[in-house]
Amino acid sequence: MRDLAFYALAVILLASAAAAVTARSLFRAAFALAAALLATAGFYLLLAAPLLAAVQILLYTGGVLTLIVFALVVTGAPAGGAALRRPLPAALLGVAVFAALASGTRGFGAGEARGGLDSGAAVGTLLFTDYLVPFELLSVLLLGAVFGALLLARKDRLE
Amino acid sequence: MIPALVTLCGPLAAFALIGLLPPLRRAGRPAALLSIAGIAVAALASGIQAVPYFRGVAAPATYEFLWAPLTGAPSIRFGLLVDGLSASMAALVALIALLVQVYSLAYMASEKPASLGRYYAYQAFFAFAMLGLVLSHNLLQTYVFWEMVGLGSYLLIGFFWERPEAGRAALKAFWTTRLGDVGFALGILVLWGAAGTFTFTELFAKVGGGAVAGSALSLGLAGITLGAMGKSAQFPFHVWLPDAMEGPTPVSALIHAATMVAAGVYLMVRVAPLLSHAPELMSAIFAIGVLTAFLAATMALVESDIKRVLAFSTVSQLGFMMAAVGSGGAGAAYFHLLTHAFFKALLFLTAGSLIHAVGSNDLFKMGRLARAMPVTAACFAAGALALAGIVPTAGFFSKDEILASVLAGGHPLGFALLVLTAGITAFYIGRAFFLAMLGSHDAEGHAHESPAAMTAPMAVLAVLALVGGALAPSIPRLFAGTIAPPAFEPETAPVFVPILGTLAALSGLALSWLAYQRRSFDPGAVRRAVGPVATLLERRYFVDDAFELVYRRAYLGLSSVVGWFDRYVVDGLVNAATWMTWLVAGRLRGMQNGRVQDALYAVAAGLVLLAWLALGR
Amino acid sequence: MTAGALLLVAAAVFSIGLFGVLARRHAIGVLVSIELMFNAVNLAVAAIAWSRGLVAGVVLVLFGIAITVAEIAIGLALVLLAARVRKTSVLDDLDTLRG
Repeated sequence: MRDLAFYALAVILLASAAAAVTARSLFRAAFALAAALLATAGFYLLLAAPLLAAVQILLYTGGVLTLIVFALVVTGAPAGGAALRRPLPAALLGVAVFAALASGTRGFGAGEARGGLDSGAAVGTLLFTDYLVPFELLSVLLLGAVFGALLLARKDRLE
Repeated sequence: MIPALVTLCGPLAAFALIGLLPPLRRAGRPAALLSIAGIAVAALASGIQAVPYFRGVAAPATYEFLWAPLTGAPSIRFGLLVDGLSASMAALVALIALLVQVYSLAYMASEKPASLGRYYAYQAFFAFAMLGLVLSHNLLQTYVFWEMVGLGSYLLIGFFWERPEAGRAALKAFWTTRLGDVGFALGILVLWGAAGTFTFTELFAKVGGGAVAGSALSLGLAGITLGAMGKSAQFPFHVWLPDAMEGPTPVSALIHAATMVAAGVYLMVRVAPLLSHAPELMSAIFAIGVLTAFLAATMALVESDIKRVLAFSTVSQLGFMMAAVGSGGAGAAYFHLLTHAFFKALLFLTAGSLIHAVGSNDLFKMGRLARAMPVTAACFAAGALALAGIVPTAGFFSKDEILASVLAGGHPLGFALLVLTAGITAFYIGRAFFLAMLGSHDAEGHAHESPAAMTAPMAVLAVLALVGGALAPSIPRLFAGTIAPPAFEPETAPVFVPILGTLAALSGLALSWLAYQRRSFDPGAVRRAVGPVATLLERRYFVDDAFELVYRRAYLGLSSVVGWFDRYVVDGLVNAATWMTWLVAGRLRGMQNGRVQDALYAVAAGLVLLAWLALGR
Repeated sequence: MTAGALLLVAAAVFSIGLFGVLARRHAIGVLVSIELMFNAVNLAVAAIAWSRGLVAGVVLVLFGIAITVAEIAIGLALVLLAARVRKTSVLDDLDTLRG
């Protein structure tokens, strides 16, 4: 059952990823990306990490998709930008990188997984004890990103 | 040692303040007073310092510090040397500079304030450079100050830079003296290579001990002589001095009396203990000196510009000094340097006073000025008598010493020529005096006596020119107080020497009186009678033309060849390198097309390569 | 289901994202592809954490997601700015740094 779910999710993820990078319409690409992100959330569930799955769906998929669609609406997704640029060398390089990465996964195939990621309480405790400082720094980073994005996108910036 | 430092610091401080504070320089008169104060301090300090040496009760003193530590060769030290020679010379330089600067206060009064400030900045610098040269304790330091003196004279000769002739004259002076300085620099290096030291004391000791090869010594000394010939305007480098008259007249007084031209003779007197080891060089110096003395005196005969007459007279008198050095009479040369400084500075200052009054340099536009300018006339007369060498003025004693030393050196022909030159000297200075001061017609314009700031320095110098001969007994004492005291043997000059000299001088004066005052005969007729000779003199023996020819043909010809080589060969190589760079760059720049994704290809490919290196093997 | 298989899937998604980054003409397309690559990395981290039983891995993924969100916000702001100033969102037209 788990293996079945794994293969189904893998197929969905790879297919939607392929669609996200090849779709002629950028809107379609955005929605394919949403599908890929959702499939990843499914993987997180399979990995017994429901908290991650929830964050992936609520924050990531929702937030990123909203932003991208909003940007597409504002810039007006052009048809001219849809065609692929030198697909063959890009594909070759992609395959080469995949080969390099795949060769790095040797050794993870065998052995029993320990699991045990399902405790949201444990994650919360870690976040606010051992990783408190990175957590707070991250909040500063997000604040900075918000201000940076505002500053960059302001209309009167260059006038 | 303290007075020597004070002597140097006075003018240096004045120069630094005037140079660094533009408001002070633009104010003019305050700058002038500051400069005068600086040189007055220097004159006082150097005077106090010199007195014991004149009395013969002081020993040489040295102050030195390490300047350039060397490995494998003796380290180079800089420092001050105070002995009979440098102390007395420093006192003379400071005194003349002080008088000239006071005089300039009135003479240059019509200059704009900023201009006046610039003038006094140059004056202070010039005085500092000359004092530094005099007090140097080694050849390298001497050379440094030597060039500073050259720069100072360049700046002052070209002071009226609005006039093209002044600029040309300044350049001519600089280049001509530089020509000799090349020899000077090489000479210093040759001596250093042979003896391993720049310091006078050590140099004298090593040469005296026979530690220096004769050929190297001669070569090095010849180079130094070349430098001295350039600075002291010896034939054929004399061409710059008459042109240097483009500078303000007080500057001429300074250059001709105490600085610049005096530097050459001073240097020769300084290295005189070495010269005795190079007899053939001494003969050459003697020949050059006599030739210069005679030629310059004859050129002065036909000059109508009062300042140029005096300029040729300086060249001629410097020739006397060189001849004395060449005949082994360094003491006589130095004595004449001192007395000459008095009367030549005096003559130039009086000439400035005349020019100031008449507004022209031309002798023939002057006349009967004695009535309007009695002080100036009296001073001029004193200077003229001293230059002519009439008993009992300072010039008589020093000229007599030179003639005696030349005779003692075994040069009867040179002696005869110098006596003749003495007669010519008396004639041309008498001519200048009679034309300007007495004469038959009045000067143009309304002549009037100069202000006290001008007459006072003249009066001081006039007294010195008249009684300076009293210094004669001090000269052996001064030399006894040097770092290389000569084995002094009192020369008993034949009694006919002073008689001959006086006779020549008197007859010269009398002849000029007959020609220009009594009008017993017409000088113009004489000039026509010896037409070619006179032309030769007026064209100054064509030396200037020869220089010009050499410059035009040889130098410019060589320059055009070198220029061609530079343009087409050297530049060609450079251009070829440029062209190749452009070619390669043109190919390579295509890689940077500015497209971010093409750059990413490289990043991704690099990632794959790294992964292959890390994991694949 | 093994961690190795999951890592292979993540590697494949990463490579697909790389292809998109290299081949997409439009800047937003490139950003979409970058998101895919980020997501693949997060997945790989989660898989390793799962295989080792490390709760800290979950924290790392959470941080990764947060940084990704910050990145996309800035990236999209830049795209909007480029679209307004240079009147284009096609990366090949933004070649001011051409040599």
